[in-house]
Amino acid sequence: MHSKCVRWPISKITPSILSESITNDAGAVTPRDAFLRGVRELMPAWPGIFAWGLVTGVAMVKSGLSVTEATVLSLMAYAGSAQLAALPLMATFAPLWLVTLTAVTVNLRFVVYSVLTRKHFAHLGVQQRLWLGYLVGDIMFARFTAMVEREPDYPHRVQYYFGGAIANWVLWQISSLIGIFAATTIPTAWGLELAGTLTLVALLVPLCASRPVLAGVLVASVVSVLAHDIPMRLGLLLAIAFGVLAAFAVERARGES
Amino acid sequence: MTEPYVWWAILGITFATFLSRSSLHVLGHRLQVPHTLESALRYAPACALAAILVPDLVFVGGHLDLSFGNPRWLAGIVSAGIFAANRSMIASISGGMAVFWLLRAVHGG
Repeated sequence: MHSKCVRWPISKITPSILSESITNDAGAVTPRDAFLRGVRELMPAWPGIFAWGLVTGVAMVKSGLSVTEATVLSLMAYAGSAQLAALPLMATFAPLWLVTLTAVTVNLRFVVYSVLTRKHFAHLGVQQRLWLGYLVGDIMFARFTAMVEREPDYPHRVQYYFGGAIANWVLWQISSLIGIFAATTIPTAWGLELAGTLTLVALLVPLCASRPVLAGVLVASVVSVLAHDIPMRLGLLLAIAFGVLAAFAVERARGES
Repeated sequence: MTEPYVWWAILGITFATFLSRSSLHVLGHRLQVPHTLESALRYAPACALAAILVPDLVFVGGHLDLSFGNPRWLAGIVSAGIFAANRSMIASISGGMAVFWLLRAVHGG
């Protein structure tokens, strides 16, 4: 099933990405290899992605969206946590600017992510850069940054990124659609959404290998709990800001680079 | 929900997606970020992950619950331990879920 899900986007969505830089100056690694490697390295996260997509699909329908509305929202926004944050607001007909702004703040961490990754993609056309932004998720971002740090000379990093990001998109949309259409038969009492959170735990653990990161994570955790009730998810931003400051302060104090 | 409102909200959330995720990529090298800021931001992804997942684990129904009656944060700790021990995402997710379901069954919830 997985190989099937993953095969159609290679041929249908990314022919230009695949053929764009077939230089083969790096020996055996072809763009296709890089794409498939991206897919492969995303796959261990599939239970978390699947459970999270399922739960989001169910939540959209249970909060009052029709099947069509939920499907369009899932396909267009492709933003699990922003969709979930917007649902209670939409259910009470909150002003549209509030719905939009809440989705922006939940997504703002991706602005920071793109500060860190944009140099790898700046040579692409505008359209491809729009798509790679749409396709970014926490999981592939973590995979990608770890990979370019480990292998700074890896040739087809763009294809690697799109491989994992598109696999994530396919998994997410399939599970979300299942959730939308089976909303009445999937009990929310199972607590499946926890699997999504546990995926983030597994992403976070390997990042905590240095004291500055540990300090930042600790401070961000405490602030996120203290600021939990601030509207528009602004607590998330406060937590990131204080965490980064703490990590940076520890780094400076220890004289690490 | 009335139809037009929902469609406008869907457009708003979609706009939010592209604005936050793609705008800096589209700007590319035209936007210069001070070196110090860029180097500090290396810590942002870890902080963001923590700030998303910790409230998810410790809040139950809007209330902070760090007791043994809340299986979510215990599952999180087990999950982190499993991942630190064997670097397997599948083992870590399924182990955490197993602990969560087990504790919930024990508590009769």
